[in-house]
Amino acid sequence: MTVDKRIYNDSVISKVVYWLSGDYKIVRTTLDEFTEKIDIVLNNSDSDSINQFENRFFQSLNDFKLRQIVANETRDIKTILYAKAFAEDEDLSEEDIHD
Amino acid sequence: MTERPYYLLPFDFTELSGKEVLVNELGDMIISPKGTVQKIVDGTLPKDEIYKSLVSNFFLSEQIIPPLAEVYAERLREKKRFLESWTGLHIFVLTLRCNQNCVYCQASSQNEDSSGCTMSRETMARGVDLMFHSPSSSITMEFQGGEPSLVPDLIEYGIQLAEERNKDAKKEIHYVLCTNSIHLTDRMLDICKKYGVVISTSLDGPAFLHNANRGKKDSYEKVVAGIAKGREAVGCDRVSALMTTSVEGLNYPIEIVDEYVKLGFRAMFLRALNPYGLATHNDDWSDYTNRFIAFYKKALEHIIELNKQGTYFVEEFAAIILRKMLTPYCTGFVDLQSPAGVINSVLIYNYDGGVYCSDESRMLAEFNDYTFKLGSVNDRYEDLVFGKKAKEIANIWANEALAGCSDCALKQYCGADPVRNYSTQGDMYGNRATSLLCRKNKAIIEYLISLIIERHDEVMPIFRSWVA
Repeated sequence: MTVDKRIYNDSVISKVVYWLSGDYKIVRTTLDEFTEKIDIVLNNSDSDSINQFENRFFQSLNDFKLRQIVANETRDIKTILYAKAFAEDEDLSEEDIHD
Repeated sequence: MTERPYYLLPFDFTELSGKEVLVNELGDMIISPKGTVQKIVDGTLPKDEIYKSLVSNFFLSEQIIPPLAEVYAERLREKKRFLESWTGLHIFVLTLRCNQNCVYCQASSQNEDSSGCTMSRETMARGVDLMFHSPSSSITMEFQGGEPSLVPDLIEYGIQLAEERNKDAKKEIHYVLCTNSIHLTDRMLDICKKYGVVISTSLDGPAFLHNANRGKKDSYEKVVAGIAKGREAVGCDRVSALMTTSVEGLNYPIEIVDEYVKLGFRAMFLRALNPYGLATHNDDWSDYTNRFIAFYKKALEHIIELNKQGTYFVEEFAAIILRKMLTPYCTGFVDLQSPAGVINSVLIYNYDGGVYCSDESRMLAEFNDYTFKLGSVNDRYEDLVFGKKAKEIANIWANEALAGCSDCALKQYCGADPVRNYSTQGDMYGNRATSLLCRKNKAIIEYLISLIIERHDEVMPIFRSWVA
């Protein structure tokens, strides 16, 4: 199975591999600049089949990609909201987002 | 992707019961059709009821900074309010001596006649002094063991010291005696009555199960008699009980719940075994965890049924999680906090003068593992709670910053536990993909959310009554 790194970046692939590593041994191999090969070995007999793994893998890729978009886009506002909640400085404003 | 007519606010999501469950930084949860997050990101979300709900509940904003940012900040503060008060729970492990022989003992208890494992008065005095250094305006002094009721004089001495110190400190103080109730003498109960000590006892279920777990033939009868005696002395509402689910207990979810109801309790905490002390001898923790999850669901289902039939009865673990889900408030439960409850909410003063960051960490010490020993009662308070060890633990005590936790939609309802990570996985950071604690907590939280999705009208009146 291969993954196009132009669609799913390293961080997204790593997070998916992290969560599936309890059930599978997963080997990542870089084939070229844009392609990564994913090989798996079932960790135990309770693990899903290869087909089920592929479904889980690609579903997780999509989910983590969405999570990454939300996390990236909300990083600044999150900092501002946490600063408002816990920092003494109350002078944070809209301009801080653009700094 | 089309240009969106709104801005994103921080949130995460997961899929449950055929729905997408969105959870924001405040722990607010919105249940939406599958594909909602994709539409949010793509900018194709219609301006329907879901959209209005997402805006009004701080998932989306129509302005770059939400107009109610101050409200958001105040709610965020409220969710972490437990940090403001600093350490509130101070556990004094008075002795390792015990008069029971529990098969799963997590406290490394010793024989009742053992010597050299009881706290000295000097250590008690130093511990009380440290306790009063905590900035918290409300403190709980909890007596544990072994079996603390074997040393009533030491308990009274500790309370008297605390009362004396509190004439100036003027803190709100609560006292808790964690006892197996086997040896609740009149002397012990007089102390409880005089100082308003709350009694927290252990009861694992019906007689056959409780006695088997205790390695005694008559433990159940004695505990039940102790509970009755305790209730008479300090009042029914000041005696609670805690169960531990032994491997054998996994077979009896209904019987265990019914036992608590029969004895007049209005709440119980369905507690799994912790991998400390004798409990580490359990053969297969993965199997135990799976079976505990099934046990929990059966027991909770029975409790829901009891409530539907008019018996008000609370499952405390669910209630803690539901409080996080359904109310704007934080809970004082140290095992589900981020930053973790260790040091922030609890300190342990061990019988030998060691100060530890959690009850479990002193249990590790009984196996000569002092990883979580902060120091001794002779150290300065500041050196204990701001020392090198505390700083080391602080690096990994927030699930907002842990791999696996940081992008988990359920993190607002869960907590970080570096001590458990260390004891079960060999390092404080832990690996969520293989963590059995993560598996258990996640399964229970997901189950509660699934009940809310699938049986909303049936369970919500009950759940709301539990968090009211």
